[in-house]
Amino acid sequence: MPESVSNITAQMPRAKLAGLLLFFLGPAVAIYTLFSIYPLVATMALSTYTSDPSGARSFVGLANFKTLLGDALWSKPFWNALGNNLIFFAVHMCVQNPVGIALAGLLSLPGLRLRGFYRTVMFLPTMLSVVIVGFSWNLILSPLWGVAAGALKAVGLGSLFAPWLGLESSALVTLSLISVWQFVGIPMMLIYAALLNIPDELIDAARVDGLGQFRIFFHIKLPLVLPTISLVSVLTFVANFNAFDLIYSVKGALAGPNFATDILGTFFYRTFFGNQLQLGNPTMGSAVATVMFFIILLGLCLYLFFVQRRIRRYAF
Amino acid sequence: MTTEQRARSLGVHVVLIAYSLLAVGPILLVVMNSFKMRNAIFGSPLAPPDAATFSLIGYEKVFRSSHILTYYSNSLIVTLVSMALVLLFGAMAAWALTEYRFRGSTALALFLSIGIMVPIRLGSVAILNMMRSAGLNDTLTALILVYVAQGLPMSIFILSEFIQQIPKDLRDAARCDGVPETRIFFEVVAPLLRPAIATVAVFTIVPIWNDLWFPLILTSSDSTHTVTLGVQQFLGQYITDWNSVLAALSMAILPVVIIYVILSRQLIAGLTSGAVK
Amino acid sequence: MANLRIEHLHKRYGATAVLNDVNLKIEDGEFVVLVGPSGCGKSTLLRMIAGLDGASGGDIHIADKLVNTLAPADRGIAMVFQSYALYPHMNVRKNMTFGLKFTGVPPAERERRVTEAARMLRLDELLGRYPRDLSGGQRQRVAIGRAIVREPAVFLFDEPLSNLDAALRVSTRVEIANLHRMLKSTIVYVTHDQVEAMTLADRIVVMNKGCIEQVGRPLDLYYAPANLFVAGFIGSPAMNFFEAKVAGVEGACARVDGPGFRSFDLPATSLKMGDTLTVGVRPEHLARREDGSFTVEGVVELVERLGESSFAYVRRADDRLFVAEVRGRQTPTPGERVALAAANRDVHVFDSSGLRVSSPTNT
Ligand SMILES: Nc1ncnc2c1ncn2[C@@H]1O[C@H](COP(=O)(O)OP(=O)(O)OP(=O)(O)O)[C@@H](O)[C@H]1O
Ligand SMILES: [Mg+2]
Repeated sequence: MPESVSNITAQMPRAKLAGLLLFFLGPAVAIYTLFSIYPLVATMALSTYTSDPSGARSFVGLANFKTLLGDALWSKPFWNALGNNLIFFAVHMCVQNPVGIALAGLLSLPGLRLRGFYRTVMFLPTMLSVVIVGFSWNLILSPLWGVAAGALKAVGLGSLFAPWLGLESSALVTLSLISVWQFVGIPMMLIYAALLNIPDELIDAARVDGLGQFRIFFHIKLPLVLPTISLVSVLTFVANFNAFDLIYSVKGALAGPNFATDILGTFFYRTFFGNQLQLGNPTMGSAVATVMFFIILLGLCLYLFFVQRRIRRYAF
Repeated sequence: MTTEQRARSLGVHVVLIAYSLLAVGPILLVVMNSFKMRNAIFGSPLAPPDAATFSLIGYEKVFRSSHILTYYSNSLIVTLVSMALVLLFGAMAAWALTEYRFRGSTALALFLSIGIMVPIRLGSVAILNMMRSAGLNDTLTALILVYVAQGLPMSIFILSEFIQQIPKDLRDAARCDGVPETRIFFEVVAPLLRPAIATVAVFTIVPIWNDLWFPLILTSSDSTHTVTLGVQQFLGQYITDWNSVLAALSMAILPVVIIYVILSRQLIAGLTSGAVK
Repeated sequence: MANLRIEHLHKRYGATAVLNDVNLKIEDGEFVVLVGPSGCGKSTLLRMIAGLDGASGGDIHIADKLVNTLAPADRGIAMVFQSYALYPHMNVRKNMTFGLKFTGVPPAERERRVTEAARMLRLDELLGRYPRDLSGGQRQRVAIGRAIVREPAVFLFDEPLSNLDAALRVSTRVEIANLHRMLKSTIVYVTHDQVEAMTLADRIVVMNKGCIEQVGRPLDLYYAPANLFVAGFIGSPAMNFFEAKVAGVEGACARVDGPGFRSFDLPATSLKMGDTLTVGVRPEHLARREDGSFTVEGVVELVERLGESSFAYVRRADDRLFVAEVRGRQTPTPGERVALAAANRDVHVFDSSGLRVSSPTNT
């Protein structure tokens, strides 16, 4: 197959090509390198230093990481944050993806009326700031206002109500669900788009073969959108292990109660900037960021080697 | 339609309506109650404001005790400038990467794609140091630079897909016509990229408007806060004043919702255009 | 106006050779048509002339000037694409003037050229329209107009008519022929359509697998194909081929014999006893007649009636099929045994390497 890349560069004088590349790529590469890649590298470099109270920095090799993972003062909150982050991610995977798939499936039903309306409304929360969403839910779930309690009472489940966001046992899961509520629009839309890409003839053929809508969805559509689902999962993974705004705006930097909602993002923020309990520590903060970087990298590698390779993309 | 089909279609609509309510209910609740007096907020939270309960006291307080208009203009400046630069530089880079064959182009594309997956937040410590030493901390410029760096990889990726869909003959025709390469990009290719703007917006611009992290780290004075940060800090201070809190939340929600509703068709078309697979 | 000279042109994509030592001389004002099977490198050759693809080796001269390193715009060419490649966001006028802006044509001159091209192509009414509001034929004319206003020395067309329906294709073909008559410019034209090639071309270039098989005037290719490939490619339905052998050599004559047809004599200089040959006869040259030296017999299996003539599919004794075009009303019927003959000059004989030997003499 002929490629889409133009061969025009073959006849171009070298200097002209260099000029063009500099003009087109220069600004993007410069800004990106300076403000994205360089900071990442510099942060990693900084994680191998320590600073004394006078502000002087000295190289300490991997000592910061030893402290972070070995010194109970550091390692306990770190493992706690990592564990919480895993729960946060697990809730997303178990709730956000199935709900997103189900909604996309319903939206893509042939002949559905009001499709545009549903799409618009259901995607709305995704457009809002996490801060606003978190705070709004904070109010709604607050026993002070009593909206949630009232709503439960109205359906006869009043006894189930509890100040979920305040309880150590339920705060994390509640926050995860709020995040799911907000971001379910992304898997819904991407899967919906993938479902629309499936040619109608394929579905018609299945209908002629006598399959009902339900079977068509599970046996034909779902396998065909699997690549999209796995892509959504990776996006969710990266976003979750980098999350911060929601916990910070609902629970503050201390991620209470008693660090029950502390995830890596908030742990990083506390380490870097400090808070009521401790002073900010840029070098330890860099170490935390570096560890987060490797966790995300590990996740991406696992995905590339174990998931991506097994998934087959189908051309229509 | 048979009865069975009708029942099934009804069932589908019931589920979709229920979920739609779940999606907009909380937002509606907050906005609705922001226009009510304090005792009505608590007395009958589910009732819309009426003549007896209507009140703008919350909004008055927000205007009086916060710099909400400054926050708005900061957010607007940061988002619009970032968007313009992300689109311009992103499209230029995407064009060079898809159109010109040169040594190292694959490596460069890989280098640029790191930023899609690795969040730039992890470099915050160094970013703050850099901005401080450049005298840029607590300026909107710092935010814009970071957001452009953050948005570029994804926008290059999306725009490359769009550029590849522009027929190759068109660029070749322009070359035969004697159009210089830079003009081919700006006058032939760029105008055809308009449908891509919506997709880029969803994936890179909306996160910029909504971001809390970088304003929190890079700005420290009221004059440089964005809406998200300003409202967040306001909420923290006035947490017990429900009128103000609801009003502040509504003021952060409403502009976004209005713009979203106006542009939702394009945005959703951009999302589902298949450029992101 | 200019001539065009291509010397030892090569093109490789990685390891695969797409063009192999192409040599071609095109005179000033000549209309040359490139034909060949899909993927043989016609578009590639055209794009290399245009400067859109670089060569892996060889030279291209336009108007006696070496243009290898010149950008497309500096070669004095204009190209019309199969997809028309009209700028969708510019109206017809802008589409035509857009390129002129960058080649230093003053506005008044641009206007003059557009007006003239529009008149020639009957586009006057359409100048304000956008491509999406034009029919296929109109888009085609705009694409040609955009090429004309550049006043190029050489026009390059890549299958310009293949997106048009049959009727429009015929009328546009006539227009292109008229255009060539008026402009007198050099044209290189790629097509799949034999009728287009035969009717438009001063000379036809037959390509195959990246090589030029034969260059010649349309009727020369038809009546004297230089090799088996050209013989099979030009003409529709394709020429019938019969396996044959040299059964004997007598002086300057070789006796050609094979299964299914009567043997005949060939004035052949270099043929030896036992050489394998291929005999080719076009379906339209086979008829029920007595005078031909080449006669083949068989049973009619199927008849396709086209009106003015019919195609008869005839099975020979050795179980091979051949086709004969039978004119007039006396169409054969299936099952009928027929003997069909061709005049000497319509019998083509090719040697084992596929090259043309000669036609039989009268006996
Ligand atoms: N960029 C490329 N990379 C690799 N191979 C290519 C490229 N462009 C063309 N080719 C190959 O070169 C050969 C010639 O292509 P070309 O387009 O010239 O054929 P063509 O004669 O115009 O065919 P058609 O009649 O179908 O248009 C084809 O086999 C094609 O696959
Ligand atoms: Mg071609």
